[in-house]
Amino acid sequence: MTQPKHVCRIRVGTSGYSYNEWVEAGFYPPGTAGAGMLPHYSSVFGITELNYTWYQMPRAEAVDRMQKTAGIDFMFAVKLTRTLTHEIEAKKWEGEVARFRDGIAPLVQSGRLAAVLVQLPPFFGRTPANRRYLAALLESLEPLPVAVEFRNDSWATQRVFDGLAGRNIAMAAVDAPDLPGLFPPLGVLTCPDFFYVRFHGRNAAGWRSGNMQSQFDYDYSEAELAGWVEDRIATMAAGAKAGFVFFNNHVRAQAPNNARTMIRLLSGSGFAVAGGPRSQAARGRFGT
Amino acid sequence: MDAGQVPETGCAGLRGRPRTVVHLNIADFAVAVERQVDPRLRDRPVIVAAGADARSVVHDMSEEAYRAGIRKSMPLRAALRRCRDAAVLPLHPDRCARAMSALFKEAYAYSPLVETGRMDGHLFVDITGTGRIFGPPVDVAWRMYRAVKKRFGFVPIWSVASNKLVAKVATRLVKPVGECVVGEGEESEFMAPVLLDLVPGIRRDESIRLAGFNLVRAGQVAAVGKEHLETVFGVRAKGIHDAVRGVDAVPVIPAGSDPEAIGASRMMGGDRLEIRPVERILYEMTEEIGAYLRARQTAARTLSICVFYADGMQTCRKLSVHPPSASDAGLFETARTLLYMAWTRRVRLAGIHLSCPGTTARRHQLELFGGMDAHLRRDALSDAVDRVRGRFGAGSVRMGRMLGGAA
Repeated sequence: MTQPKHVCRIRVGTSGYSYNEWVEAGFYPPGTAGAGMLPHYSSVFGITELNYTWYQMPRAEAVDRMQKTAGIDFMFAVKLTRTLTHEIEAKKWEGEVARFRDGIAPLVQSGRLAAVLVQLPPFFGRTPANRRYLAALLESLEPLPVAVEFRNDSWATQRVFDGLAGRNIAMAAVDAPDLPGLFPPLGVLTCPDFFYVRFHGRNAAGWRSGNMQSQFDYDYSEAELAGWVEDRIATMAAGAKAGFVFFNNHVRAQAPNNARTMIRLLSGSGFAVAGGPRSQAARGRFGT
Repeated sequence: MDAGQVPETGCAGLRGRPRTVVHLNIADFAVAVERQVDPRLRDRPVIVAAGADARSVVHDMSEEAYRAGIRKSMPLRAALRRCRDAAVLPLHPDRCARAMSALFKEAYAYSPLVETGRMDGHLFVDITGTGRIFGPPVDVAWRMYRAVKKRFGFVPIWSVASNKLVAKVATRLVKPVGECVVGEGEESEFMAPVLLDLVPGIRRDESIRLAGFNLVRAGQVAAVGKEHLETVFGVRAKGIHDAVRGVDAVPVIPAGSDPEAIGASRMMGGDRLEIRPVERILYEMTEEIGAYLRARQTAARTLSICVFYADGMQTCRKLSVHPPSASDAGLFETARTLLYMAWTRRVRLAGIHLSCPGTTARRHQLELFGGMDAHLRRDALSDAVDRVRGRFGAGSVRMGRMLGGAA
């Protein structure tokens, strides 16, 4: 497929970067320890999605230290903390939003915040109460760039897409196993500023195992990724200024491997791919 | 060694690699256990007292009671003056022990390296090298937290760090609820703003002395440097310097290999100023430890005692057992000496913990000349008592000293 050069600048990265098993898998040089991972990662990719912020409320000083170790052009997407998506307490959530915003303030100030990812759980169906909560949550996050990922198919309606578009919120396009109840892999653009794609892998057997090592153990073939570029990313990129693509299949460093393949496919199709200096030259599996 | 590498004594395949330690801390554990048993105690001030008489002291209290000004070891009467509507409950060591056992089993599913505190709601789990099975450490820690919350109703504070010291400080900082993840290589920066009183390994007298130099935070002490600390603290300087930088090579001691686990505790209410009733309690404890050792064909090489005074102070002493023994009488000789060494203040006792930190194989070598020596005769007597009790019940044979006569 030949695609004319487009103004949409796409960044490709992985969901999280601090995995010791990536040292064993060869992505990180032998002996790379926690603090040394991001400098290496940012020399390969131009963006990462911080997943630890789902478990722990981000702390400004830690976020600030982290961003200083990455390349100057490096961007961060930040996952919203679980107390705002999975473990919501009616009386506390507004305070939690304030804490979250404080925690990511260094990224906002430096202009390196690509998006806040609001990943909603499978049990978060489209009920009146949940709709009200989501509307209030999105309002409380304004004017941050926000992407919403649904895991429940009851949200796959035009009214939801329109509602997100009206608020300038991106709806995450998700590749996941084809299982009943899961949100379908739609490439719907709801925000002209950016589109947001997450590749979770297609391990249907492990998806509901409760173990991340099974859930996200999948290696995408080049044909599967090329299909996404052609069918969905090209369409969304046509209407957006930027695009963020993340691989969450972290097991055995399949995520960075697939991300590099994706960069190659996008570059080959004429898209402008932003990233680390070595990302454009991704030749081998972990090309050096 | 770096802040949190696998120590030389650790798993051979992981030596030199960064460690990952999860710490679960159930705040106000004794209260949490009582609330688990009786949910009506939730959302109200609760005091767990050591002893049931008027001179009892506070063993533990709920967050509500803490906010009302109640502190551990405070006389119960004074505590109730500060919080009149507090529910006062006796300490139930059996309930705490059961809860700890359940927590241990939950954590053991993730790693064999689980270290539990002494019925205090603390668990350290070394999950180094388990990533390929269970996933990222932070996810494992959260799953432990979620399981403990769902199955037992406890809401643990949790942390992930590269060693026990930093993990413990992390949970202390977010108490009473929350979580804290300290990345590998971030230990020193994380510790810098921490008050010295929150740093394990720095004694109270040391932090007071450092405060005299206007050093109240870990980062300030770290900046002074080890050489300067040596001029004031001598050999302790290295330990202090390591602690304030979050360096800790102490491994997670797995359950079963924790020598302190061989032990017995007794909490005491009422006046315990007379030596003889306390000696009877001590003998009962040595019987407990002796039976445990004999059942495993081991003998005590050392015994350790901690006496807890009613005013909150405690004293610990340790002694070698010569020759190593598993007989009740042999253990009691050493235990009684330890009691005299430790109980030196004219203050009533709130509790005793007797443990066996060093064990060895039981001696079976007979004397080459002569008959059975006194120690072997004691061993044989204890074995005989075990057999009788095994057949007819624990109360079938009792030592004369346990009947209230001369100790």
